[in-house]
Amino acid sequence: MNMFGRIRLVATREFLVAVSSKGFLFGILVMPLIMMALIAVIPKLLNQRGTQVNVEVAFIDQSAALSSALGAELSPAAVAETRNAGRREVQQMGAAGRQVADAVLPESVPTFTVKNLPANATVDSQKQWLADGRIGKRARRALVLMPADAVVRTEGAAGYGNYRLYAPRNLPADAEGILHGALRKVLTVERLRSAGFDPLVVKAATDIPRSPTKLVSPNGEEQGAQALNRMLPFIMGVLLFIGVMTGGQALMTSTVEEKSSRVVEVLLAAVSPLELMWGKLLGQLGVGLVGLGVYVALGVVALLQFAMFGFIDPMLILWLVVFFLIAYLVYGALMLAVGAAVSQIADAQSLMGPIMLLLMVPYMLTFVIGATPDSALAVASSFIPPVNAFAMMARLASSSPPPVWQVLLSVLAGIVGACIAVWFAARIFRVALLMHGKPPSFATMIKWARIG
Amino acid sequence: MSQQFVGDGDVADVLKLLGVEKSFSGQPAVTALDLAVPRGETCGLIGPSGAGKTTSIRIIMSILFPDAGKVEVLGRPSALDAKDRIGYLPEERGVYRKMRVGAFLKYLACLKGMPEALARSRARELLAKLGLEDVEKKKCEDLSKGMLQRVQFVGAIVHQPELLILDEPFGGLDPVSVRLLKGVISDERRRGTTILFSTHVMAHAEELCDRVVMIHKGRKVLDEPMSSLRRRYDPTRVLFEPLDPKANLDGLRDIAGVVSMQVKDGEAELQVAAGTDPSMVIREVAARVVPARVEIARIRLEDVFVGIVRSDAKSGESEQALRQHLQGLTGGAA
Repeated sequence: MNMFGRIRLVATREFLVAVSSKGFLFGILVMPLIMMALIAVIPKLLNQRGTQVNVEVAFIDQSAALSSALGAELSPAAVAETRNAGRREVQQMGAAGRQVADAVLPESVPTFTVKNLPANATVDSQKQWLADGRIGKRARRALVLMPADAVVRTEGAAGYGNYRLYAPRNLPADAEGILHGALRKVLTVERLRSAGFDPLVVKAATDIPRSPTKLVSPNGEEQGAQALNRMLPFIMGVLLFIGVMTGGQALMTSTVEEKSSRVVEVLLAAVSPLELMWGKLLGQLGVGLVGLGVYVALGVVALLQFAMFGFIDPMLILWLVVFFLIAYLVYGALMLAVGAAVSQIADAQSLMGPIMLLLMVPYMLTFVIGATPDSALAVASSFIPPVNAFAMMARLASSSPPPVWQVLLSVLAGIVGACIAVWFAARIFRVALLMHGKPPSFATMIKWARIG
Repeated sequence: MSQQFVGDGDVADVLKLLGVEKSFSGQPAVTALDLAVPRGETCGLIGPSGAGKTTSIRIIMSILFPDAGKVEVLGRPSALDAKDRIGYLPEERGVYRKMRVGAFLKYLACLKGMPEALARSRARELLAKLGLEDVEKKKCEDLSKGMLQRVQFVGAIVHQPELLILDEPFGGLDPVSVRLLKGVISDERRRGTTILFSTHVMAHAEELCDRVVMIHKGRKVLDEPMSSLRRRYDPTRVLFEPLDPKANLDGLRDIAGVVSMQVKDGEAELQVAAGTDPSMVIREVAARVVPARVEIARIRLEDVFVGIVRSDAKSGESEQALRQHLQGLTGGAA
């Protein structure tokens, strides 16, 4: 049997064993399902929050100008109107916004009853009332003290006096927010009116809704999905990371298992170390591609769901595969070398640390590089393996894609990096497969690679 | 089962080593090893644990590379070029624990270039021969240690190799497995397979080998066909055990041709003069004292080995330890 036949046999076995393992099935199939389920369930859970409460608001109005206005602003109709205005604003952000609106704006709205107290009532006299615990499950209490100069400034003062809100611990956050909002609104209106302005005019003048940004490209006007565009470089980083980890981790563990179970010497009677290494590398590459494919497919389905697939350049998926191959070969080869160097999984942890760091840093950098795709850092790291796959993917997915020559140069740099990593792994593989005992340090591994 | 090997059939020596040296971090493991195994021969590589047997075998298999010297396997400069025609059972052998026995054997055979269908039928046939008819569908991890070792042995021969290399094939095996394995090894011999196997138990080598190569501390100390070894160590000793343990044996000294006699634990060992027919002595001994047992002492590899390395076995105690080891009574290094 020739070399390629043997590599194919090893790769096939490696692939089939990996994809039929429970860990893979869980990681690839169950995890996305769980994530999707969470996305579907979390809004519902958020809606559950806070049963409808009735808040009794005691109001000490020393300014004597606001008691009726506050009562009106806290009427159920006014509260509902304010809430719907907020919802409309979020909904303008597109389909995704509607989901967010449903998620963060709960259906149950608290109701308010305003109880006006005499202006000379003191906060101390009301504390007992506030703290009274025997008022029922849905009843809440709050006290607002409005100072005399809240609407009309005292002579010579720079600002208005501000209100104070007193409440026991159990006042729900959304009720508190509505209360603050209503107080701010009635104060603004009354202050404008007492200063001689028409509040309706001021409102019309200052109410400027946020207009969605229209993206313009050579193809003409596109509907914007800025949030998606900003996320894309990071999403690419995540996809590379998942693909590399899926394949690389399995590569390491399967090699350690072959070593510790001593099956490796039996194998070496049939295949050369190099054939074994390539077989494993290619087999797990298939596993990584399946993992990557599942997540990309999920992403595409999600985008189609929200009718946003048009915002993504299909070439991006092609580049993702190319840079995945590069990143996988670099990190996969290193993890393979670690697997071959140690005799037990436990010993692998200390050697995996630096490799994980080498994988985490570029992945984190996709945040920075995606935001500033033309910075010196972004350009330089596009050509330095092993960071380059992540850096270039982030730039390709960013708002300002790099010129083609840079992409090709990055691919070339990646290929060189991958060759070095595979060479290193091959040397380690030959030397270390039959060694047992104390795990080597990285320095020892480099020595092995040098002297073979 | 008889099958003629084609290609390289004219290569007289299937296995050739010339001046092979290997040391590990300055510590020599194999020194100036020459070896030639002709086609069809069963050669025993013997010596105590730590003698360098496994290192030599790994060099033959190109799993290790020699520091100096030449290796030729099946007419090729490296076993890597002839892997498909070699069967190898390493001393430290493993399996894929989660794999089914049938699938594992099929995988090994396919790696060696055997067509899938043939691999499956051959694996089934060999498993049956080793008393493992119903394990094909079982996972390797569900087998007992003895069964697993038999499965591993099947893995080494499933692809019908021309050259079979077995490193301590009987190590840690129960007597039943040893017997079954020896049967299959004999079958392979009859098929014309060249076999090299290592063992530290001399009795196995005596039973199976055409030739023995003894290694001691990395050096070859003996390389001789069993037949010539038996001739060279001429049967000049007669062992005698009287039926009555208290019988007086002194009369035996006068038998013609007996040079000396030693009595130990009620058993007499008579040294016969060279050129004297020992069967004459036996007849005479039996006539003088009623025997429980009387026999010509056969050459024992253990004695040969101990004789060769006596200089190292200084005290009686260490010689006894070495003998126990060579009899397979102790597994560790001597």
